[in-house]
Amino acid sequence: MIDNQAATNTSQSTNGYRFSVRFFCEKPFGYQLRETLYYKRLPLNRTTLTARQTEQLSLQGKLFNNAGFSRLLVIWGITFIAVLICLGVTLLLIERSKQVVMPVAPPLLPTAANPSDTPPEPQEVNLFLLDTTTFTLVPIKIERRLHRELRPRLSQVIRALIQETPPNFRNTIPRGTELNEVYIDSQQTAYLDFSSHLSDGHIGGTTAEFLTVTAILKTVFDAFPDDIKQVQILIDGEEVKTIAGHLNLSQPLRLPQ
Amino acid sequence: MLFLGILVFAATLSSIAQQPSVRFIDADGKTIAEVPAQRRDAQVYLPIDVVKQVIDPATTHQYNHPRKRLTLKIKGRHIRLQMGKPTVSIDPGGQTLTLSTPPIIIAQRPMLPIAFFKQLLPILNDVDVIYNSNLNRLQIRPKGTWTSAETDNIQNWAIIVDPGHGGDDQGCEGNTGILEKNIVLALAKQLQRISKQQGVQVYLTRETDTNRTQFERIQVAKQNRGQLLLSLHCNASFSPHEKGIRIYLNNPKGQIRFPSTTKPALTGQRLKVLTQVNFLKQSHDFARALQTELNFLTETPVQIIDLPLIALSEAYMPAVVLEIGYLSNVEDLEKLSNAEYTESLSQAMTRALQRYISSVNQQTSAAAIE
Repeated sequence: MIDNQAATNTSQSTNGYRFSVRFFCEKPFGYQLRETLYYKRLPLNRTTLTARQTEQLSLQGKLFNNAGFSRLLVIWGITFIAVLICLGVTLLLIERSKQVVMPVAPPLLPTAANPSDTPPEPQEVNLFLLDTTTFTLVPIKIERRLHRELRPRLSQVIRALIQETPPNFRNTIPRGTELNEVYIDSQQTAYLDFSSHLSDGHIGGTTAEFLTVTAILKTVFDAFPDDIKQVQILIDGEEVKTIAGHLNLSQPLRLPQ
Repeated sequence: MLFLGILVFAATLSSIAQQPSVRFIDADGKTIAEVPAQRRDAQVYLPIDVVKQVIDPATTHQYNHPRKRLTLKIKGRHIRLQMGKPTVSIDPGGQTLTLSTPPIIIAQRPMLPIAFFKQLLPILNDVDVIYNSNLNRLQIRPKGTWTSAETDNIQNWAIIVDPGHGGDDQGCEGNTGILEKNIVLALAKQLQRISKQQGVQVYLTRETDTNRTQFERIQVAKQNRGQLLLSLHCNASFSPHEKGIRIYLNNPKGQIRFPSTTKPALTGQRLKVLTQVNFLKQSHDFARALQTELNFLTETPVQIIDLPLIALSEAYMPAVVLEIGYLSNVEDLEKLSNAEYTESLSQAMTRALQRYISSVNQQTSAAAIE
């Protein structure tokens, strides 16, 4: 009601003033504070206002430019910020408490040669062993924690092939043979260096020699289908013509596709 | 009643199971007929109908029951037999023959022994008859009659037989202590003797128990102008059940293969490997001839396997490795220790040599005509 009165009363005054007040009056309540302040910044026009109008306007200004109101705002704002900070600190503390628990866990896991590495997951590897009833090489699944790098992984697989002897299957590598070293060259040829027992301890016969070599080849190509294309067998670090006198092993070997 | 019925049924079943059957095989190893036979005192007897089935469908026979006399009319000839007596008379011609086992009567029927077929068929037809008593197989094959030109041709051939291992290199060992190097040397000598009787000249890469390097073995082949290399070995496997004869060919693209571009040809080795492989087709032909002949001796068919082989890699001629049996298998070991078996093995190998040589001669003469 006061607003409307003020609007009508001031409508005959100067253009800028009249417009300003009408504009003020038509606005919803929420804008009133700002409009009042704007109005107050027009000292020239104030002189043209009636005393009553001036009183009314200053009343309005008091109402909305209240110190109590701004104090309320400040208190709530500070409380809000304080709560936020508390929340942040709590979260930070929780995070920190988690970090404190973490270093305790890794020593519980068995393999942590390199502390920055998480231990490798056990992987399935196919070892090709002889089924003594069908005379064929069959893949036998075993689980091993394999090294991440290619070379140590290859020697792990070959050592497993030498050692594993599940029931009903025969290992085709003479017992007691050792793997000295493995090398892989740029042409994806794996060189497997065995101890001389591979040759000396071999039972002989073309079939047996064929089975020994094929078991090695199949196991390697099954475990490393992308990384190794061919395999050469070495004995005590040197290339050999044969291991039991029949097969020609003087070159890297593959299997027919 | 039911119990009796079951008893009779079981008895007939067991009697059927006990009866052997004889398989008649032609020269190429194909089965002509498989006939049920009767066994009496370790001898195998066949019914008269078999003669009609196998030799001549027009065969007729008369059997005088009270006198136990049998007259067979085969290809216009009268063959007279007396049951229980080994003498056989053949008319016209008045020939008489003494069978090693006489014909007998089983279940009121006259039965002919295997000896009748073995001894009589070569007289009636121009055939050779070979009997494998272990497997009851009877092979009928055209007689090895060579024309003089062919005989000369065969004698011109130089076959190199290479007994594997030797000396320090024992090869594989059977559980009876028998060694591969000794078995193959004995067999090679036997083969040399038997093939010489047939006019095939065989040279050995070692005559004694000495180890020879691959180079020395190939030198022997070269000096004797060898045209075919047969390397004799004994097999072994990690499985004690694996048995039989295997023939291996040198093929770098076999069940294990060399990569095509790994080593420069400068080493010379690759070049030599390739030269042996140039004879791969001939080697395959010889392997098939061996397979056909040796299949007669074994229950399981002989396998031919392609692998890169060191023993043959430097031989500039058709070549195969013959693994005569598994020393890791008890049955094979027993066979190879048996002189009768190794004799039949040598004979089969000799026939394979003849078969291969005559097929090559035919090919070359056909090529000459063209």
